[in-house]
Amino acid sequence: MNTSIPSSITATIALAAMATVLTACNSNPTRATACSLPQGPDLDRAIAAARFDLETGCEQQFDQYFQRLLTIAEGDPKKDNKSAFSEFLIWANEEGLLSKRQARETYTRYFGVKYVSLISDYSVCDQTCPRRHEVMREMNQELVDKEQGLLKVSADRREFYRANRLFQETELVLEATCEACGSSE
Amino acid sequence: MKTTTIRDRNTQRNFAKRLMGAVLLLLPMAVHASPQTPTIKLFPTTVLEEIKHTGNVAAEMETGLQTVIARLDEQQQLYIQSKCEGNEGDPGCEQIARQMGKSYLEMLTIMGDKLPEMETAVNSTSASLEKRIRRELGQKKTSWTLQELLAGAQSETADKADRPALRGRSGMRLSDRFQQYYKLVSRSGGEVNSSLAVIASDIYLDMQETSSLIARTREEISRATLMEQLNQSFGTITPEMQEVVAGVKSILFGEEEPLMPMTAPPTSQPEQAYDSPLNL
Repeated sequence: MNTSIPSSITATIALAAMATVLTACNSNPTRATACSLPQGPDLDRAIAAARFDLETGCEQQFDQYFQRLLTIAEGDPKKDNKSAFSEFLIWANEEGLLSKRQARETYTRYFGVKYVSLISDYSVCDQTCPRRHEVMREMNQELVDKEQGLLKVSADRREFYRANRLFQETELVLEATCEACGSSE
Repeated sequence: MKTTTIRDRNTQRNFAKRLMGAVLLLLPMAVHASPQTPTIKLFPTTVLEEIKHTGNVAAEMETGLQTVIARLDEQQQLYIQSKCEGNEGDPGCEQIARQMGKSYLEMLTIMGDKLPEMETAVNSTSASLEKRIRRELGQKKTSWTLQELLAGAQSETADKADRPALRGRSGMRLSDRFQQYYKLVSRSGGEVNSSLAVIASDIYLDMQETSSLIARTREEISRATLMEQLNQSFGTITPEMQEVVAGVKSILFGEEEPLMPMTAPPTSQPEQAYDSPLNL
């Protein structure tokens, strides 16, 4: 008895199998691997899209997503945006994308009056004065971020004014204190 | 009649224990919630008195110099109006130049007499403040707690118009500056720690600057006096002489310089601010 399968049938089966595999691939969500940054002017939609991507494989690009959300929010500056970003960062912490400390520092860097660049455990004389100029450079960079978060995203001029004032006062007080400590650069 | 049984006493004791426990548990919260922050001792009476004394010494020096500087200004005006620049050989111009030289020498003499006292007063205030700032801000604070101190007072004084200006010392007499410092410090009475930190820093840096200016001026005085005595025989006005007079005027009487522009505070009333649980 001839048990061999005709070659035309084999080819048909192979084609069918390939088609099945291809169909199965197409039904997978493509967003997770694409990691395309959200588009469009709507912040809520952008946040929803960012959340989806970040929980499906794009967590390495958290910073880029956050920056894109800030840019989108700049298109419609309002005080409510602060709470939208706060909730987004709380969500990121709950999802394990950021530690609580990272979430707090990121929020404060953009939307707080105080400067995370000044976080330290030791005295001003011992820790801050030896690197005062570096600290001031970091604060200056943070002021730029606050300008984006407080002014361009949240339209909160008052808080930005306070942050700017705090920068100037800190600069003055640090200059005097480091001079008094005897370790000014 | 109600008698107190052992059981009652035990109940009372237990209640007292629980109450004590609750009080002990709540105590740290109460301490934490207390609005009083530790006072920073930047301006004890001695420092205040030193500031006042420095102001008085500056005022004395100004009074002595005011007449001679006014005379110098008049003579210089006359020199310019008489078109003496480039016309030095003219006998009239030579005479004005000699008179100016005399006034200049007089100014140098007064300064030479008064500056040592001024220098001592400034250096003494500076040294006291330096010690205080080092201890209270440099050693007792981290940069974060220092920032909290400054930010805390920002909200306390956000709407007050009398918030001290930062390093805006130009255009003001030296004695007025010290008088203003004295008023600022004595009026606040330790009420606003953060403003005091800013004021102390401002005064201290000002003292440092003034001290080095005085030292430089003293070094120059004897040399300038000798040079001018020589110039007297020729009756010329040197650019150096004009520069020294301008320098003295700027130290003592301030100079007209525009203040650094700053972001203007918004005029609208503050709305209820959003407070994120993430805010540090």
